Amino acid sequence: MFSTGFKYFFGVTVLSVVALVMSVALFKNLALIGVAITFLIAAGALLTGLAIITSDGTTRDANVQTSDMTTQSLWPLVTGIGTVFLALGLVTSSIVFFGGVVVLLAALSEWMIQAWSERASSDASHNAEARKRLLNPIEFPVLAALGLGVVIFAFSRIMLTVDKSTGAVLFIVVGTLVLVAGTLFAIKPNMKRSVGAAICALGAIGIIAGGVASAVSGEREELALAAEEGHFTHKECGPEESEYFDKLKEETLSLRSAVSATIIYQDGELIAKIQGLNKPQKSITVPRSNATNIIFRNATEGEFRLVVDLGKPKTEDKDSDHDVDCTQLIETGGEQSLTLKIPKSSSADNHYKLFIAGAEDKQIIVVVP
Amino acid sequence: MHKTLKSAVVVFVGSLVAASCATNAPQDTWQPKGPNAKLIDDLQQPVFAVAGIIGLIVAAAVTYTVIKYRDRGQPIPEQTHGKPALEITLTVIPALILAVVAVFTFGAIFKLAKTDDTEMIINVTGQQWWWEYDYPVQNEFGITSPIISSGQLVMPVGTKVLLRETSRDVIHSYWIPALNGKRDAVPGRVQTLRLEADEPGIYAGQCTEFCGLSHANMRMEAVALSKEDFAKWVANQQAPYVVPAKDSLAQQGETVFLNQCVRCHQVNGLMRADGTPAIAAPDENVWSGAAPNLSHLMSRNTFAGAAFDLLSKKCRDEVWGAPSNVVGAKYLAGVTEDCLNQKDLRAWLRNAPEMKPMYANPADLEISNGKYRGMPYLALSEDDINKLVAYLLTLK
Repeated sequence: MFSTGFKYFFGVTVLSVVALVMSVALFKNLALIGVAITFLIAAGALLTGLAIITSDGTTRDANVQTSDMTTQSLWPLVTGIGTVFLALGLVTSSIVFFGGVVVLLAALSEWMIQAWSERASSDASHNAEARKRLLNPIEFPVLAALGLGVVIFAFSRIMLTVDKSTGAVLFIVVGTLVLVAGTLFAIKPNMKRSVGAAICALGAIGIIAGGVASAVSGEREELALAAEEGHFTHKECGPEESEYFDKLKEETLSLRSAVSATIIYQDGELIAKIQGLNKPQKSITVPRSNATNIIFRNATEGEFRLVVDLGKPKTEDKDSDHDVDCTQLIETGGEQSLTLKIPKSSSADNHYKLFIAGAEDKQIIVVVP
Repeated sequence: MHKTLKSAVVVFVGSLVAASCATNAPQDTWQPKGPNAKLIDDLQQPVFAVAGIIGLIVAAAVTYTVIKYRDRGQPIPEQTHGKPALEITLTVIPALILAVVAVFTFGAIFKLAKTDDTEMIINVTGQQWWWEYDYPVQNEFGITSPIISSGQLVMPVGTKVLLRETSRDVIHSYWIPALNGKRDAVPGRVQTLRLEADEPGIYAGQCTEFCGLSHANMRMEAVALSKEDFAKWVANQQAPYVVPAKDSLAQQGETVFLNQCVRCHQVNGLMRADGTPAIAAPDENVWSGAAPNLSHLMSRNTFAGAAFDLLSKKCRDEVWGAPSNVVGAKYLAGVTEDCLNQKDLRAWLRNAPEMKPMYANPADLEISNGKYRGMPYLALSEDDINKLVAYLLTLK
């Protein structure tokens, strides 16, 4: 009367109800967990109903005496390993603990399905097929994602180690090899599977080995130096010009799509162009406590720097200096972004301002409402 | 079993029909009130009809197949693979339908993305769980100094308004169904959304990107006023701060405000006893770095992220139910003492986290660096609440 499918989904539903009850007892904030488990219960109940209505999920030969023969299994061993990681994680780090949880859950699931499938009928090949139908749709994508993740991570290590031009060449070479291999597989569909597997394995092992070697030797010098000194973000508002200036960063889509205003120094005048307003402005409005990007464009002959006067860090401290931030010296036709984050509102007698270094009368008022 | 199934289908269909019969549905996407929303409506009506018909056909086919061929112990039928003519037909027909839909959809998307005909801009900043509106200087609308407000977006009718959206904390999404589609407000980005209303009225909206505990309470209302009424609203928003009458309850409330509320809430023009401007410091107390500016609070009809009405139900119904030619005047009347929703405002001041779920428990602040997300419990006495209500009523 009760099909295997019914039992399975009924079990999932009952376990979900148990999980919900335990969550209510254990967690204070159920906002997301509660919604997720409730949906799981609803889906389980629906599938249980469908399974009983359609009698679906019954394996062939279900009523035939099942085989007592079982195959060898790795899953008890993997379950043990997962348990060890879980216990180790409790005294070391949460990453090891959650890794153990994942291994344990995966091994128990595999073990459970294998145990079920081996007793599904007296036909061993049918049992193996039943196991494949149930688990392969999960196993293959997960293993593929893990494998790809490892290869991509290894490749990223290589790209961080080699210099920029070598990286570009390497990218082209690897891309070409992938294309060649793909073309080979397409035009030789009868190629032995072992040959295809060997090609893929060689490629993956090569990249992983390169990644390990790169990780051991460390990132290229300029990146290591940048991480150490933070000089890509370093700014000097004095007369000197900084040595480092990441111009490529200025071209990123994320920055270009988030510009609140463009400040232009043109014909000896400083003006602001704001999306949606047709006329040039002499003031810009910046939401307080929010990172706001502006772009400074120098359209005047010579090198100029845009400076923002952020007022006194503490208004009650009358003797303190004003906080300032600035772009680098920008050549004619050049641009640089500046990110403003101003926590305090401006008032009628305390406005913030943008100005050109050395020409303080060229100003744009910054209003923080 | 069949009887049970039929009953279930009847109950399901009946519930769907009953759910579609709401008469008071201010966020109904099928009632556009502006050209941008109409553009979307003109697209979604035929697409919905086509999709609905296809959906019914597919559902009927699946239901028929499930019932007709359910397992009765019969042998598994012959398994076949590949019917090129059928497969090509079933691929080409949906592709053609989608291609036709795509042509009209892309046309609508490009029209909705236009910004070069903008007549007015308003900066919109989202944070947990309210919206801030600031109006940069725009002399042609009489805005000679920036205006800042929250909860209700006030705009002139027949004007192409461009919202420049961003967020201070997490991703939110701005949606006034009667005036246009949705646009995400993303930290670090400026996204634009066109709004235009055909006639005066109040149009309800809702944050549509899950943004935390009180996402459901992050509401907004767009108030469209005639150009004359909008000019009056602008003039009122730019009016200077009015100091409460000496020795009045409101003046005592101002002192309470300076001691308690100004840590986060700004009131433009409010001065401290030593004559310096009272500048709020929400960045030191609130995770998003901002709290609603309460200047001219009583010119709005809502508070706490538009989750609650400042107007009593009777007065609110009068404003919302007013015909379009008088809704502006009703709205501009603001909140008087007689119309104030004292119950909710006092309850809010008494214990805000009890009114609206927020991360405002001092014991749970470690995840936000010790800063509140939402208004905390301030332990105000009833006496202080009386004074504060009297003071807030002066912020016209």
